[in-house]
Amino acid sequence: MTIKECYEAIGGDYEAVYQRMMKKDSLIMKFTKKFLNDTSYKSLKDNLSGGNIEEAFRAAHTLKGVAQNLAFEKLYKPSSDLAEILRAGSTEGAGELMEIITKEYEKTIAAISELE
Amino acid sequence: MGTRNEKQKILIVDDSEMNRSILADMLGDEYEIVEAIDGAEAVARLNTDSTDISLMLLDIVMPNMDGFEVLAVMNKRNWIQDIPVIMISAENTSSYIEHAYELGVTDFISRPFDGQIVHRRVINTIMLYAKQKRLIELVSDQIYEKERSNNLMVSILSHIVEFRNGESGLHVLHINMMTEILLQTVMRKTDKYNLKRSDIPIISMASALHDIGKISIPGEILNKPGKLTKEEFDTMKTHTLIGAEMLDQLSYYKDEALVKTAYQICRWHHERYDGRGYPDGLAGEEIPIAAQIVALADVYDALTSKRVYKPAFSHEKAVEMITNGECGTFNPLLLECLLESADSIQEQLAVNSIKQESDRNIRNITEDLLHYEELSASERTLRLLEHERTKYQFFASLSSEIQFEYTREPSMLTLSEAGAKMLNAAEITMNPLEEEQIIGISDDKVMEEITKLVTGSSMESPVIQYDGELLVNGEWRWSRVICRSMWSHEEKPVMTGCIGKIVDMHEEHAKIKDLQRIASYDGLTGLLNQSNAKRHVMERLHENEDKDYILAIFDIDYFKNANDRCGHMFGDKVLQHMAGRLRGSTRDYDITARVGGDEFMIFMQDIEGIESIIDRVYHALTGKYEGFDISISMGISRTRKIGRKYENLFGCADKALYTAKQAGRAQYCFYDDSVKEILSVISSIDGEE
Repeated sequence: MTIKECYEAIGGDYEAVYQRMMKKDSLIMKFTKKFLNDTSYKSLKDNLSGGNIEEAFRAAHTLKGVAQNLAFEKLYKPSSDLAEILRAGSTEGAGELMEIITKEYEKTIAAISELE
Repeated sequence: MGTRNEKQKILIVDDSEMNRSILADMLGDEYEIVEAIDGAEAVARLNTDSTDISLMLLDIVMPNMDGFEVLAVMNKRNWIQDIPVIMISAENTSSYIEHAYELGVTDFISRPFDGQIVHRRVINTIMLYAKQKRLIELVSDQIYEKERSNNLMVSILSHIVEFRNGESGLHVLHINMMTEILLQTVMRKTDKYNLKRSDIPIISMASALHDIGKISIPGEILNKPGKLTKEEFDTMKTHTLIGAEMLDQLSYYKDEALVKTAYQICRWHHERYDGRGYPDGLAGEEIPIAAQIVALADVYDALTSKRVYKPAFSHEKAVEMITNGECGTFNPLLLECLLESADSIQEQLAVNSIKQESDRNIRNITEDLLHYEELSASERTLRLLEHERTKYQFFASLSSEIQFEYTREPSMLTLSEAGAKMLNAAEITMNPLEEEQIIGISDDKVMEEITKLVTGSSMESPVIQYDGELLVNGEWRWSRVICRSMWSHEEKPVMTGCIGKIVDMHEEHAKIKDLQRIASYDGLTGLLNQSNAKRHVMERLHENEDKDYILAIFDIDYFKNANDRCGHMFGDKVLQHMAGRLRGSTRDYDITARVGGDEFMIFMQDIEGIESIIDRVYHALTGKYEGFDISISMGISRTRKIGRKYENLFGCADKALYTAKQAGRAQYCFYDDSVKEILSVISSIDGEE
């Protein structure tokens, strides 16, 4: 799978990231692959189920930032929403959002793993 | 700027490794990237060295210490003035942005990062700051440069004059030095001329220009070997007015102190105190003091130097000629000054060399530096700081001491690299007093004591010292904590934290303990000595108020005879034997001591059946030793009868011992009413036999 195909598969905005990464596919590739090692998703999941809202917020916030930078739009949106809920100290609707995030995250990870 | 050719450093502070990495890549190879994983680490990095960071990219939401807290610290420490900060964040609510700008950030980069934008903003900001920095540097360098070129110009000018004059080239230097010496003497003697310390360099520098007017005097007159005709001399005299006019015609600088003073000197350094000099015939204090001094210096140097028309006179001869008035009349006060400083003039002018001149220059430059101290954060200062830091780090790495720094805001403990390893703690710890790792290196009391000592210290006496046990390299070691509290530079200084080191003194401590132990025991028998026995007894009495005790004193009957008959060596052996017996017949918890020559003490709890215990001890101490019959006399006092005062217990046991002796020795006796009246003469009893 090429990087462009990968973005199509996960609903990312390839054009945007291409522009931002100074039109270097190599850079996009490098960071996309790096995403496999990013811990913010796991941290979000663990802290959310552990009831540690403050830490969960920070993790959601980081995940949102990373997704945004890489233009993983489908992942960015729910993590951003969840971050806002957690920021307010609430968990209302967090479960549903977490499900969406998990689904998108797994889809993203799977696609990235298939990159050449 | 020493760092100009090196890559500039950018500190990226973001808790996401991804984000740091993306930013680092976007900035490419042009910069050296330093990363911090949260605010605390960023502050710690700046705390170690804040001068080498050219720019900081700062995230807002981070654990431990967020971006705003970092900015607050940077403001408090004045780092924000030197380090531009670009905030990176997905937050774009205006209140956030406003707050960040208030805290001094230079720019914002919002997520998602755009490579071009990040790059451009970073370059712009660094350039802006670098320009500002360079301007400051330029201004300060120019100030030094100006001073230096002033000196240089003056020196060149005056040497041109001398060259034409056929003089040695040292004349100007001599005048210069002598003017300085005379000025200092004048200032010591009187303040009537209102001279300030800062006038000295100006007047002595200006003195070099005294003959500048000679440039326009024809060479044949200047260098005529014989006596000048009246016309020639009149021409020669004009060098004063010409020199003054040259200076007066300087359109830009004529109001500067140096030029004004030089004007006075040029014009009036041939005037005399009695009004018989030239060109204006000024008299007395009409002649400016600068010109008076240079006139004297000029005459002195002319006399002591070889000229085309005269040989060099000795210092003594020159002084004599001047004081006799052979070279015109001078201010009597100045003549006094000349005589007083004659020695140092002679000395300094004699050993004159280029080296000395450069020393003098260095001194001048140093003075100038002091003068410009307000340029505190110039590049020079930074370089000096850098130098000090390198030195400090080097020495720190060499010593195995644990060095630390604690700042109150934020509450942060920084340990030297070696120190952190030895204490098995992190190099940087936020809120150390709540951190297990730090609390664990000592017991609560130690930390409490140190904190108390530091907070109790003052700016006048900021150094405190504490000895205690610390867990170093996994081992409890006696350590000495030496620590200095640090204070802010405000009008009302506030304690900002402390710096210090921890020195291992385990061996010393053990030695001291050992010495203390040796000091408290009797060398011969190994029993406690009297003063320590007393301390132990008193402690025991104090700590166990509900318990009763007995105190027994005994001595060896006819011990003096054994000593006399068999020698002191034997006597010592007997004493050691008795000590052994005593130890064997008492329990460890009892206190046993040798309280005098052959006098021993036992202190034990007064329990039921004490009488039989004493009887047993008594008999254990009696018997044969190497053919010598040993018997003892013993007196015993009891707290239930006497009370708990040591002196009383000892005194009564003493009296009971005396009673036992009186009753024929080889027995023991409890103190009771019957012995009350008997006086203690214990020490003389054996001697009377």
